[in-house]
Amino acid sequence: MTDRSLEGVSLVASSRLPLREIAVGASALAALYFLPSYLSDYWLRVLISVAALVVASLSVSVLFAQLGMVSLAQYGLLGVGGWFALRMSHGTGAPFELALLTGGAAAALVGLVVGLPALRMRGLYLAIITLMMAGAIQVLISAFGFPDGGAGILGKSTGARVMMARPFLAQSDPAYFRYAVVIAAICYLLVLAHLRGRPGRAWAMIRRGEVCALAGGVHIVAYKVWAFALAGFLAGIAGGLLAGGVGQLDGSAFPASQSIMLFALTIVGGAYSWFGPIIAGLMLRAFPALLNEFHVDGNIATMVFGVGLLHALMTAPQGIAGQLADAFRSVSKLVKGNGGTTA
Amino acid sequence: MPDFTPFLVSGLALAATYVLSAVGIVVLYRASGVVNFAQGAVGALAAFISWSIVERGGPESLSWLAGVTVATLVSLAYGRLIAPRLVSTDPITRAVATLSFALILLGFMGYLWGEGPRRLRLPTDTMSFELLGVRVTLTRAIAFGLGVSVTAIVMLFLAHSRMGLQMRALASNRELSAMLGVRVFRIDGWAWVISGVLAGVSGVLLADLQRLSGQTLTFAVIPAIAAAVIGRFASLPATVAGALAIGVCEALLTPVPVIGPFRSATPFIFAVGAMLWMQRKPVFVYR
Repeated sequence: MTDRSLEGVSLVASSRLPLREIAVGASALAALYFLPSYLSDYWLRVLISVAALVVASLSVSVLFAQLGMVSLAQYGLLGVGGWFALRMSHGTGAPFELALLTGGAAAALVGLVVGLPALRMRGLYLAIITLMMAGAIQVLISAFGFPDGGAGILGKSTGARVMMARPFLAQSDPAYFRYAVVIAAICYLLVLAHLRGRPGRAWAMIRRGEVCALAGGVHIVAYKVWAFALAGFLAGIAGGLLAGGVGQLDGSAFPASQSIMLFALTIVGGAYSWFGPIIAGLMLRAFPALLNEFHVDGNIATMVFGVGLLHALMTAPQGIAGQLADAFRSVSKLVKGNGGTTA
Repeated sequence: MPDFTPFLVSGLALAATYVLSAVGIVVLYRASGVVNFAQGAVGALAAFISWSIVERGGPESLSWLAGVTVATLVSLAYGRLIAPRLVSTDPITRAVATLSFALILLGFMGYLWGEGPRRLRLPTDTMSFELLGVRVTLTRAIAFGLGVSVTAIVMLFLAHSRMGLQMRALASNRELSAMLGVRVFRIDGWAWVISGVLAGVSGVLLADLQRLSGQTLTFAVIPAIAAAVIGRFASLPATVAGALAIGVCEALLTPVPVIGPFRSATPFIFAVGAMLWMQRKPVFVYR
C-alpha cells in the first residue's frame, strides 16, 4: 500500500492570506473583549485562575510531549514563582511585569538546581525526584507562608495582609482577565518559537532516540536542561499570574497532590496538542467550581481525574484534545464526502 | 543540647514503617517493573478501614487485620486488572499509572472519611516497657520488630524459595522467563500481594504513630521511594539502611531549633544525595 498521506497537501507553499487563522484570531479577540461582561464575579475569578493554570499545564505538556519527561513538581514551582513575584512586588514596588519575570526566573532556577542530578539519569528518576521536590516545596511554603507586605526576607506582615499590586493596565477584574489571557498567549508563542527553532529540532531528535541524537551532535543533557528551565519559567509565570489575580497566595494551597493533579490533567487534556493545556486548565479550576455550584464533593473530582488519567494512559494517549481532533476530522470528512457525491 | 534518646526511639519506629513500605516497593519493582507510587495510598486505605471498624465498636484486633486484607485485595486487583494492560509500555508510564491509582484512592478516602484530626489507636499503645531510661510503647517495639523480621523474611524468600527465584527471573527478563515456563501473571500477582500486605501494615502503624489522614499517609510514600532510590530499586539491604537513616534523621531533627520545621524534607535530601553518589563516575545511562 502506498503512502497517500501527502496527497491532499500541496508540496509548494502557497502564499495566500491565512484567512482561517486571521478569522480565528479575530473571533478570539472579540470573545476576549465581550466575554467578561457576561460573567459573574465568581466565574470571572475562576477564569482568571484558569488562564494561569493553562500556562502551568503548558509547562507540563512541553516536558512530556517534547521529551517524554515527567515532572511532578510543576505546581510546586508555581508556588515558588508566586512567592518570588509577591516578594518582588511588595519589597521593591516593581511593576507587575518585572515581578512576573522574577517569579519565572526564580522558578526556573529552583527547578534546575533540583532537577539537574536527575536530568542526567533515566527518565523515571526525574519523576521520582520531582515528586519529592513537590513534597519539599510543600513543606517550605507551609512553613514560610507567602509574603504579604511585611518586612524582612520573608516579608510576612503581622497586621493586615497587603494585596499584590496589579498591572497598571489591568486594575479591574475584567481587565486582569484579558491581561492574563494575553500573557498566556505570549507563553504559547514562546513555546512555539522554541519548537520552530533549534531547541525544537534537538528535542525532536532526542525523542527519536538518544543514541541517534548523540551521534548527530546534540548535547542531550543541555537540551533537557533547557526544556526543564523553560518549563520552570512557565510555571513561575503562572504562579505570578495567580498571585496577581487573587492578590495574595495561601500557604496551604500548594500541596504535592496538586502537582500530581496538574500532571494528570495535562495528560487527560492532551499533552500533544495546543488545545490540551486549555482543557486541563478548565478541568483544574472550572470543573471543581461547577461541582461546587451543584454542591458535589470536590473529592469526586479527584477520583474522576484519577480514572481519566488511567483511561488516557491505557487507551487514549492523545487525551481529550486528540479525541476532539479525531471527532472533528471524521465529521469534516463526512461533510466533505457528502458534498462530493451530490456535486 | 536537647535529649535525643526519646526521639531516637520514636525515629526507629517511624523508620520501621518506612522500611516496610520501601521493601514492598522494591520487591514489586524487581518482580513486575512497576514503581508503585500508590503504596502510601493503599496503606492509608487499610488504616481508614481499621479505624472505622473500631469506631463502630468492632473488635480491635480483627480491625487491623481487615484493613490489611482489604489493602492486599485492592493491590492485587490493580495488579491483575490494570497493570497487565500496561506491561508493554515504558517504566515511566507504568509508574504514572500508579499515580492515577493513588488519586482514585485519595479521592475515595477524602469523599468517605474526609480530612480531620484523627489517630488510629491500637491496643498496644497503652502497654509499654522501659529501655535505656525511655518509655517504649509496645506499638513502637512491634513496628521495629516487624520492620526487621519482614525484611529478613523477604530476603530469605527471594534468595531461597522457588517463587523468589522466579521473581528474580522476571526481574531480569520477562520474555525469557515466560518461555522457560514461569507463570508471569501469577508471580506478578504474588508480588502485588506482598506489596499490598506491606503497604497495609505500614499504613496501620503509621496512622497510629503519626496521624490518620489520607493526604499525609498517601505521601508517606515519599520517604519509602527515597529509600528505594538509595537501594537503586534493587538492593534490599541498601534500601533498609536508607529507610532507617531517613526515619531516624527525621525524628532526631524534631527538637533542633531552626531546621526542625523542615525535617520532612529529609527524604528529598537523601534521594538527591544518593543520585549524586550514583553519578560519581561518568557513566552513559541512556534510555
